[in-house]
Amino acid sequence: MQHVLLKVLEALRTARLRESDKLAHFVLGTCRMTVLDLRRTSRRQEQLLTTFGGDLVPDPPPGPRLDDRQLARCVQTLNERERSVVVMTFYDQQTAGETARFLGISEANVRVIRHRALEQLRYCMGAKR
Amino acid sequence: MTSAYSDGRIACPNPIEAAVLMEYWLGLLPAAAEEIVDEHLLSCDECGDRLRETIALAESLRALARSGSLQVVVGDQFVKHAAETGRRVREYAPPPGGGVQCTVAADDDLLVARLAVDLSTAARVDLSWCDDLGVEFLRMSDIPVGNETGTVLCQQSITMAKASPSNTLIARLVAVDETAGERLLGEYAFHHTRTIPGPPGWE
Repeated sequence: MQHVLLKVLEALRTARLRESDKLAHFVLGTCRMTVLDLRRTSRRQEQLLTTFGGDLVPDPPPGPRLDDRQLARCVQTLNERERSVVVMTFYDQQTAGETARFLGISEANVRVIRHRALEQLRYCMGAKR
Repeated sequence: MTSAYSDGRIACPNPIEAAVLMEYWLGLLPAAAEEIVDEHLLSCDECGDRLRETIALAESLRALARSGSLQVVVGDQFVKHAAETGRRVREYAPPPGGGVQCTVAADDDLLVARLAVDLSTAARVDLSWCDDLGVEFLRMSDIPVGNETGTVLCQQSITMAKASPSNTLIARLVAVDETAGERLLGEYAFHHTRTIPGPPGWE
């Protein structure tokens, strides 16, 4: 719709549409051409994606790998509250509110416990202080 | 003032805190703070690298939390949500002072002990795990009990349970008072029968 209106305005401004009674035909014609053009483009895109799509998906950049066993050992060294908060946060991304309700503490406290636990885990995994 | 690393990268003069990067990745930051981090990351390779490390930690923690291999006290909502999202949750709820026959199947995802207990008079609660002779081998100190005063839910390591031979575990919930000492709140026996093959040599 926006595309058609722009085309019509452009035609009027550049005086390409001399006969005003042909305006309705011009608008409808532009609509038809725009729709056909969109369909052609979309079909062409689909064909290109089918042919070359596999090559277009970039490989993810190699990220840092963590030692999962060491991480499990580090998690076991957390105190009970910290471990509960970490598991509930990362299992299905429970919000601080949901975790706070379970623990019977404030959301701010949950954030503090989470920060403390993650900091401890980072150092346990070898990050520098 | 900025400085450069030997590989030519510019050192960030104002690096984003690791905790903020984690909240950013978890989508827990308020919109305004998230926008500030977005803008910073667009122009800072160093913080981009640190974000990648944060993501690696977050994804490993997520995998670990979902593996069911951690022994951890969880909330009722957590267990319900796991079941609702298609995880196979095996739950045992022995009565206080009693026991339950239990096992695990190969396709179970989570193993949960549901311990009914009156926690209304306990300020601090420990969960003690003992062998069949009653000798403690693990104590979970000051477990979170919060608002769920009638039940303690403890996720057991499903990895360990699947490998473990038939045995009996005793769980004891203990109220701890610095002046009055310990008071038993409830004792629960789990008689585990192995139904899937375990690792060789662990009989």
